[in-house]
Amino acid sequence: MTTEPRLAKAAPWISTGARFVVGGVFLVAGALKVIDPQSAVAAVRAYELLPTSLETIVGWGLPFAEIALGLLLLAGIATRAVAAATAILLLVFILAVVSAAVRGLSIDCGCFGGGGEVAPGQTAYGTELVRDVGLLLLALWLVWQPRSRLALDRFSGARTNPASEVRSRERSPVNRASQ
Amino acid sequence: MNSPKNMNARERARLAAEQAAARKRDRRILIAVIAAFVLVVVAGGILFQSWRTNRSPSAAPSSSVSASPLTIVNGQPIALGSLDAPTTITLYEDFHCPHCAEFEEEFGPVITQAQDSGAARVELYPMSFIDEGSVTAANAMGCAAEAGFGQAYYLGLFANHTLQWSDPQLIDLATKVGGSPSEAFETCVKRKAHADWVSSINAAADKNGVTQTPTMLINGKSVDIANLTPEALKAMITSASHR
Repeated sequence: MTTEPRLAKAAPWISTGARFVVGGVFLVAGALKVIDPQSAVAAVRAYELLPTSLETIVGWGLPFAEIALGLLLLAGIATRAVAAATAILLLVFILAVVSAAVRGLSIDCGCFGGGGEVAPGQTAYGTELVRDVGLLLLALWLVWQPRSRLALDRFSGARTNPASEVRSRERSPVNRASQ
Repeated sequence: MNSPKNMNARERARLAAEQAAARKRDRRILIAVIAAFVLVVVAGGILFQSWRTNRSPSAAPSSSVSASPLTIVNGQPIALGSLDAPTTITLYEDFHCPHCAEFEEEFGPVITQAQDSGAARVELYPMSFIDEGSVTAANAMGCAAEAGFGQAYYLGLFANHTLQWSDPQLIDLATKVGGSPSEAFETCVKRKAHADWVSSINAAADKNGVTQTPTMLINGKSVDIANLTPEALKAMITSASHR
């Protein structure tokens, strides 16, 4: 940490931004899909990857998982674990879109509602992948640097025992600056 | 509060170990609580959507388009509106296609108004490629047109597009939109009486070069829906009527 004081100072704020971006995107993406359950199932079906019985469950359940993870990220609760789960989910999304592109399907990823088949040449796999990979990198950053500002994580455990109080004071750039 | 400096080394080590164990335990509990939270949200969400898609349909926007019974002919669309209307709006839609529902929400009122005023007639090709509900809804649409409440039923199907369209829902919708749920209509829905017509519509759409839904043609000319506004559509229908 002392070798890279600037990173140590910036990291919690970068992590805060990453939490808000990934959490916000997940919350919005989930909410848009919850509105229309038929579309959500149709979007899953368009990938032609799952058996029919699972398509319905995933189409209905996945948007709620996104909302739950989004809310946890925005609140900053157990950031590392939640970011890891988010990263795994994003990896699944990326693989699904890549497989759709490789198999020559003409579908909309259905990432923010809608989805299903589109006319050939109307696909946007490139943009969809760039966005998902960007979000994945932010999620992985959070797994690496889960400590952040404006997070509920700060109130769990860290303040209740002296040892970690000392440690967190050493690490916290704002406290250090004010001392 | 005890400061670490006032303790001897052993006490400090013991305290640190206890604290480390407590932190580890707290972390495990937190992760378990969070995993449970996500599971409860997802399970609750699945139940909620199951209820939403299985509930009974609600009423739909009304239209004054005449309710005369139609004959269902293989490969032929359902004509809704005055036969003397100067403009024909051809629609290729799937009752479960997400973009069709969006299209109907945005442009449906303009189209209904044109039908009501006698300016335009809709020729509806109810395609069915999304899921089982697309097929049952398309069949019921044929039944409703035959029974003489096609227009109201078409609006009702889109107004309730989140439903999965089981037979009881399709029969219930007929009552909700003011159609008479006659024995003949019920039998038509349950027996999938227009199954052949439903597949013939898909084949006709294919033959007509329709590659996506919704597809709209005004007097046979394809309309670019992606860049359309309700006002522009209104103007297009008006200008097509005066030609």
